[in-house]
Formats: sequence, C-alpha cells, structure tokens
Amino acid sequence: MDIDLRPEKKLRESAAARSALGPIIEAVCAAPADLSQLRLVCDWIQYRKNFRDVVVGRPVADTGTEIAVDLRRCGDIEAGDLAGVLASAVKRALSGGDGGRALEPWVAGRESCIWRFNALYWQALSAWENATGREYEQSLPGGESDARNIEAVHELILELFRLWDDLDARHALPEELYVLELGVGNGNQARTWLDEFVRLDQRHGRDYYRRLRYLMGDYSSHVLDRAHKTVVHHGDHVSALVVEATRPGMTLGFLTGKAFLVYISNVYDNLPTDEIACIRGRMYQVQTQAFVPDGDIETLTATYGVDPDTLMSLIGRLLRIGPELLSESAPSHFPDTGRAVAFWRGVWDAVRLRERYVPLEGLDSYQVSQSLTGETLTGEILRPLLEAEGDVRVHVSNGAISSFTGTLPLLHPFGRVQCHDLFLTSPRQYRSGFYGPGKYDGSVVNWVNGPLLQLVANRRGFAVSFTPFRQRPGSNVTTLIAQARD
Amino acid sequence: MVVLPTTVVGSYSVPEWLERLKTEYYQRRISAQHLGEIHEVAIKAAVKDQELADIDIVSDGELRRDNDVDYFLARIPGVHITQRAKTDYYDYYDAEVSRPLPEANGPGLALADDFRFTRQVTGRPIKFSFTGPFSLSRRIRDNAYPSHAELVRALARRLNAEARALAEAGADFLQIDEPFLAGYPEQVELAVEAVNLVVDSVDATWALHVCYGNRYARPSWEGHYDFLFPAVKAARVDQIVLEFARKGLDDLRLIEQYEWDKWLGFGVIDVKNPEVEPASLVATRIRRALEHVPADRLMINPDCGLRHLAPDVARQKLRAMVSGTAMVRAELTGEGS
Repeated sequence: MDIDLRPEKKLRESAAARSALGPIIEAVCAAPADLSQLRLVCDWIQYRKNFRDVVVGRPVADTGTEIAVDLRRCGDIEAGDLAGVLASAVKRALSGGDGGRALEPWVAGRESCIWRFNALYWQALSAWENATGREYEQSLPGGESDARNIEAVHELILELFRLWDDLDARHALPEELYVLELGVGNGNQARTWLDEFVRLDQRHGRDYYRRLRYLMGDYSSHVLDRAHKTVVHHGDHVSALVVEATRPGMTLGFLTGKAFLVYISNVYDNLPTDEIACIRGRMYQVQTQAFVPDGDIETLTATYGVDPDTLMSLIGRLLRIGPELLSESAPSHFPDTGRAVAFWRGVWDAVRLRERYVPLEGLDSYQVSQSLTGETLTGEILRPLLEAEGDVRVHVSNGAISSFTGTLPLLHPFGRVQCHDLFLTSPRQYRSGFYGPGKYDGSVVNWVNGPLLQLVANRRGFAVSFTPFRQRPGSNVTTLIAQARD
Repeated sequence: MVVLPTTVVGSYSVPEWLERLKTEYYQRRISAQHLGEIHEVAIKAAVKDQELADIDIVSDGELRRDNDVDYFLARIPGVHITQRAKTDYYDYYDAEVSRPLPEANGPGLALADDFRFTRQVTGRPIKFSFTGPFSLSRRIRDNAYPSHAELVRALARRLNAEARALAEAGADFLQIDEPFLAGYPEQVELAVEAVNLVVDSVDATWALHVCYGNRYARPSWEGHYDFLFPAVKAARVDQIVLEFARKGLDDLRLIEQYEWDKWLGFGVIDVKNPEVEPASLVATRIRRALEHVPADRLMINPDCGLRHLAPDVARQKLRAMVSGTAMVRAELTGEGS
C-alpha cells in the first residue's frame, strides 16, 4: 500500500490531524481490499466549501483504488466516532457507492459542469450579489481583489517612462502607448494607476498621458461596467472590453506586439483545469463527474416540491438560461429571481465531484491548449515537472495556460506581464498541500501551476519570475512577471 | 536565371519531435552520433520539401543549428562556453572571450562540410547562410578586447576563413545574417565594416539579411529600416534581404530614396504568423515591390527563417510564395503561369 501524507505543515500543527492517522489506517486495513493495490492519500482541504466528502474512493484504471481523506474534517468528527465513521466511509468508497445523481458523464476536469456554474456566477453576478447582499470582493480573502500600493505603482510607471524615453531617443516609440488590465476588480487598481500616471507624467514632462491607451478587459460585463465607472474621469484614455479570458487574442488581436504592460489580477485561478497524475511511474488523467449527493437531493426536492428528475432538469435549465429566465420560465417553483438564486446557491453548495484515474497513452497525445491559430501545446511540456517529482498529481491549468499564451503575443518586444494570483512556484509544493478545486462564493478556485507557466513562457522566449505579493503581505497571492529574455 | 527567383532565408521548420530530440541530446539521452544522423535525415526532408514547393534556390534549413548563434560560437577557437548543458536546446549558451581570438589559419567551423552534404542531396542552386560577426558578438561577454569593435572584426576575420572554405567547396551564394543589428542601429557602420571583412576575396554572390529578430517567432525590436541607409550601401554585397510581409511595405521607399542599385531579397511571407498567405496576396506584394525595384533585381523570399512554423504551415507558405511569384512572373513574361 502506498501512503501519501501531503499536508506536512498541518501534520506538525494539528494534533487532531495526527490522531486521525491511526483510525484511518485501521479502517483501510480492515477493508476487504488488496492492500498492494491500494493508495491512501491524506490532504488538508483548506476550503470550507469544496467538492469532496471526508473520505472518497478513486478507481485507478483497473488496477486499484485510491482512498483520499480530508484530515481537516477528520478533526471535526468526535474522537469516539472517528473510527466508525472512517470505517464505513472507506467501505463505501471501496464499493464505489457514493450514490447521488450525476450531473454529467465522466469528463476531463476542464470539461466539468462546475465550470458552467462558474461562468454563470460571473454572468449573473448582480443577481447573486442582490440575493446575498454581498459584493463578490467581500468573499475574497482580505475583502478586496487588489489592495493598492502607491510605491509599487510608482516603480512600474517610472520604469515605463525610462523605457519610453529610451525608445523615443531611437525613434522607435509608437504613437499610442498601450497598457492592458485583465481582471479589473472594482476598478480601484486602474484608478490608482491612472491617477498616479497623470501626476508622474506631469512631473516627467514628456506628455505620455496624451498617448496612453488603458484597456480594461474582463469576462464579466457586470464587473467591467462597475470598474469602468471608477475611471470615467480619464475619458478616452480608457476603454472597456469584454474579453474571453482563455482566448484574449479573440478580442485583443489588434494589440499584438503593442502592449507595454499587461496587468492581470485574480483571473487564472478561476479558469478551467485538468489534473494529471503520475502513479507508480504511469501517467493518468483525472476524470471527474459532478453529482448531487442523495441527502442533498432529498433536501432540494423537499424544498422546491419537485421529484428528483424534475430537480435535475431544473438544474440543467439553470445552467443554460440563468436565474432570471429560470424564474420567468418556472414561476411556480421560483416566483422571483431571488428564489431562483436561492435554488442555484443550494445546488452549488451540494455539488460534489467524483474522480477516477484514466491511463494517458503518451503525454504528446494529451492536448494542454490550442491557440486561436490552431497551434497545439501538447502534454510534453509537462514532462520535466512530472519526471522531477515521481508520484505526483498536478494541475494542468489549461485555462490559465491558454490565457497566458494568448496574452504573451500582445506584448511589445520590451513589454511585460505582471500577474497577481494564487501560484504554486515549485512542483514540489504539490507533494505537500492541496491546491484546489475549492469553492469561493459561487465560483471555482484552483491554484495555478506556476512552474508550468514558467516552462511555457521559456519555450516562447520569456523569462518568468515569482515574487511575494507586495500589496498584501502574508497573503497566498504571488506576483508573476514575464518579459522577453535574450 | 529565371525572373523573380524564389528562395528561402535559411532556417526551415523544426518539427516538435526534432526539438525534443535536440533537447534530449543535452540531457544525455541520445548520443552526438545519433543526433548527427537525425539531422542528416531532417535536412534531406527539408530540402525535399523545398524542391516539392518548387523553390528555385534552396537551403539546408539550418537544422543542425540549435539557434542562430550557438552553432558558431561553440566552434570558434577562443570562445569559452563553460556550461554546455542546456535545459532546452534553443537556449543560448553563455559565451565569453577572455583572450583575443587566435587568428584563423584555416576553417575551424566546418561549415564547408555542411555545404557539401547539401550539395549531395539536391541538384538545385543552394543558398548557404551564416550569422554575421556583429550579431555573434552581441552574445559574447568580451573580457579581451579594448573595444567591442575589435571583437567584431576578429569574428569577421574568422568568418572570412570559413567563407573562403565554403567557396572552395563550391558554395556560390552566401548570406550573412545580422538578426541583432536592428537593436543597435547606431552601430550599423561597424556591422557593414565587418561584413566587408567577411566577404573579402571570396568569390561568391553575397547577400546580407537584416531583420527585426525571429527569436521565438517574435520580433526582438521594432522600427524602420531607415537606420540601414545610407551605411549599407558601402557593404560589398550583391543583395540585401529584408522583411516586409509582417512590417508592411512602407520601407520600400528607402530602396528608391537611397538609390539601392543591387538586388533586393524581398520578404513576402510573414514567418511569425501561422496563417498562410494566399498566393494572390504574395502577388500583390511583389507588384508593389516592382514599383520600386526592377524585376531583374528582385528575389522573392520569406521575411526570415521558417524555423518556428509547423512543418505543414511552412510547406503551405512556400507553395503560396511560389504560386504568387508565378502569377507575377507570368504577367512580366507574358507566359501562362
């Protein structure tokens, strides 16, 4: 039996986590399974809302089973009950019988309907916020998407001035100076940046503000509208564009080779991803299936006075048309949008993911992403990460990779991407922690495979560096900077 | 020679599998011997692709070279490369010169052997390209010379020895690539002086290629070709090979403005964009060029090397280039295309 205890830090800190280990081993060993074909994985799932039960089973092709345990929630179980709860959970996991109603067939992680829930959240954000009485930023750690640090903003702007002065001296400065922000939050970042730009430009005396074009891009038109209002005093210098996050080139193709700065904040952690695992030297793709557990089916059907089939049909309709139209089309169940949002939230809380490992026949046959022009990035790019770490399970961060590789061509030869997000900075971290998926309000969150972005950027001639997020010391957010090398 | 001859700039599409194998060589998974044999097979295929596309003057695709610099620096006596392992084959070496380079008393880079191999596998005219002294110097940490110019001249003398060997081996169309020059426009006189050292007493047709860089299929610099003129007129070359497809045709005015009376290698294919140009667009570009350059001084080529394009895209682009050229050629000669 392979035992993989990932949350090293928590094991040191939490007596409850340590004391759960004995009963877990007891329960696994008491189960009627071939122990040589069994893997036991213990995580510490930091997200209060997530897609897993305390104990789940994952078939590994036809060769065995992985039992995955959330040590954090083991600590919530009364000590006297722990052995019994774990024993029955392991038994259930091994029998493959976690029941529930499937929302989809088995699919790759990035194809899961949880991403349709996620997209719905951003499309119908105002309805969600009205129903909850909270703006989405309040659900983020720290309560805002971008804190502001004037010193960092000054540094960045002055660096741009230096570059532009140099290019101007060589008659190589274009007439229009583009800065792009993707993931605009409440617009505060843009406002601070632009206000300071004006102030510093006056001092610098080169009239760069006249030539500045600040583009705000976001995949939520609601967020974009709100942010744009924050910088309305900058008039024609600012444009707001709805951008398909994973394919920025679709909207922003005109910007190719022109952007001096692309500022990206809290976008990548919210984009679809697959996971790939190396188990006993063999590569597997993690397939998932979203489902609603039996207990939640009972609760939801009782709350809305429908049978399970009708419930599943309503969930499908919600994902297709959103809460407002759902209310209009099924007024007997949802007399107003608020009630439809309550249904949405109830379903979202209930959604779980089952997982299984499917063999991957060669990394080159796996497609990480495809560019607008059809260029395919194959799984070969993952090889150095997987080979370096032995048995490991990693995010492919497909959406982030697609977005990132679509953004790099927008850069001017001397431009840079500055990106704040939840980045892993070493593949080794995957061996000692859990990095998603979790639920943030109505959205999905996964940490982003930073080393993979680094590799992808390297192959495109960009150097990537990671530094702690200066605007909010102590947070999990990391700053990625990418700029051309050589 | 046919009107509006077609050619390539030098490098040819490097398939993903070849990139992997090149990197595996640096990770010691395959031997130099096997990689050499793989290169030979790939070169034969690259030449065959060009022949099938009906390119008039072909190249070996530069497939032995990891990038535009290392193949040369690694072979030039006196250039030190302490770390020869690479994470990715395309990375540049960190090269240093700590003492003046020994004067060349014969070829040391074996470029003539590369030419001979290509000569064996095709009956078509061959263009043989190598990176020029100015660009090579930009990738060397110089701790030996009192001025950067001295290093450039020393490299030029070394390349002159190679050029002589190439000519003796039968190479009659040689091209100097200066992909870094656009980043240092104030040094164009030095670059031209070095070019003249390279071509000195070498009996061949010489081309000089200046682009805005093609590292990772991206331009390394932006600007206009104004910086080349009038200095480039002093270069003892027969042709300048410039990029126009990506940058637009505005700089064609410079050819007339500065009375460039030699050949122009006219870039009609954007090598940084995988979208294949229709032949009609190629023809339109050539017609525009003919407003500034007579047909008997115009050679048709892509903007730069094709190395970053997928093999199928490279093939399609070459076919489009040949078809577009044939359209204009037919108009000029009155013959059916």
